[in-house]
Amino acid sequence: MDILDKIFTLLIFPGGLFLLILGLAYEWVDRKLLAQLQNRIGPRWFQPLADVIKLLAKEEVIPEGVNPWLFIGLPIIALAGSLTAALYTPLVGLPPSHSFPGDLIVTVYLLSLLTLCMGLAGSNTLDRFSLMGATRTLTQLFSYEAPFMLSLLGPAIVVGSWRIADITSYTENHWLLLSQPIGFLVALIGLIGKLEMPPLDAPEAETEIVAGAMTEYSGRGYALFRLAKGAELVVGLTLVASFYMGGMANPLLFLLKTLLLLLVMVGLQTLITRLRIDQTVGLWWRYGTLLVLVQWLGMIIWKGVAS
Amino acid sequence: MRLNGHFLRNTMEEIKTWARINSPWVLHFNSGSCNGCDIEILAALTPRYDLERFGIKLRGSPRHADVLLCTGGVTLQQADRLRRIYEQMPEPKFVVAIGSCALSGGVFQGCYNICGGIEKVIPVNAYIPGCPPRPEAIIDGVYKLLASLKPAERALEPSSHEYGDRAEVNS
Ligand code: SF4
Repeated sequence: MDILDKIFTLLIFPGGLFLLILGLAYEWVDRKLLAQLQNRIGPRWFQPLADVIKLLAKEEVIPEGVNPWLFIGLPIIALAGSLTAALYTPLVGLPPSHSFPGDLIVTVYLLSLLTLCMGLAGSNTLDRFSLMGATRTLTQLFSYEAPFMLSLLGPAIVVGSWRIADITSYTENHWLLLSQPIGFLVALIGLIGKLEMPPLDAPEAETEIVAGAMTEYSGRGYALFRLAKGAELVVGLTLVASFYMGGMANPLLFLLKTLLLLLVMVGLQTLITRLRIDQTVGLWWRYGTLLVLVQWLGMIIWKGVAS
Repeated sequence: MRLNGHFLRNTMEEIKTWARINSPWVLHFNSGSCNGCDIEILAALTPRYDLERFGIKLRGSPRHADVLLCTGGVTLQQADRLRRIYEQMPEPKFVVAIGSCALSGGVFQGCYNICGGIEKVIPVNAYIPGCPPRPEAIIDGVYKLLASLKPAERALEPSSHEYGDRAEVNS
């Protein structure tokens, strides 16, 4: 029974199939909202699913000069990383299915596995666009990773625990959005950077460098990367929403809050044009990190004074 | 058991065809046109016509594309590039020739530097005449190409695959 339970957790409910489908659904919401804001009708509801099936059924070209093992393995690792991260997050308002002290750190690193794999996949090929995309992907990773992490650790300091389950049980009655607005903003923009959505989509700027690190991927590999991105979108939204927006006690609240957050992200996507990669780095290190650190200092002093 | 396998394979085929019809990603290549046709293609991709409704998306990389939209009469310089881009696309792939030039050389017919049509270089699946064809005509042509993938319609025109269906489109 225990084994069956574990397999179910890994393959169906929070881990596998469910998260993939939820990821596709959220991708559709993202594209549909974007289209609506641009005065278009937008894709049909099954569009992301059709895209993925079509890509999976397509021939996979392994270009010359790549290491074939890496070329085939990296998309799988990326997908595995985002799916594993879901095990530690409170998806659909339920408590996380696995949890141990310090799982927040593990989750954040599992989430950056996707970006790392994309960077490696890009630099694995000889194509110049892939290489440029890979450089930008990794540069962006180094710029948003620290502030994003710091902003997720803000709630952890308040609660005094690095366990996601503890933090979410605390935030259910506290809107940290009000007491840590800077952390929330940085986390939100960090999520946009993580998913390489506009305005932080310099790594895959299709008007400049074709498709960035993904240029040489066709068929299965590209489909897996897309699925991983969808899963990461859901996990990231869940993390930020449950940390900063008053937690989520039931599935309805989960849907409401994550979709609200997605709406804000789509709004930013339509309003702001793409930043250059040096502007992205500047944004994070000059403003993002410093502001979060100032907020941290305030919090620590406040804690010291209060106790 | 054999019946089951057959049924399964059929269902898989149907799902694949459904996905292909509903998610054609296009790549746009100018093989020496006067730019008129390209402007019409870009117009067809603007929010006014909103091709994302049909799942059509413009991709930059040939590796991601399913449909190659070609314009122009293929100059000798571009012929090699056109062939290379076609080879880079993964199977299954389709080619749509857009504009009179892409069909026959059009106004450039007989020039010393022109191959005279896309089909002289790579196999073409659909032809859209017009100088230039309107965006509606381009959308209709691509739609007819996709509709010809459905098994029912393929049975009607058994020999259509090699030379493609002529999409009869008035522009
Ligand atoms: S068909 Fe007409 S518009 Fe198109 S490339 Fe030829 S001359 Fe230009």
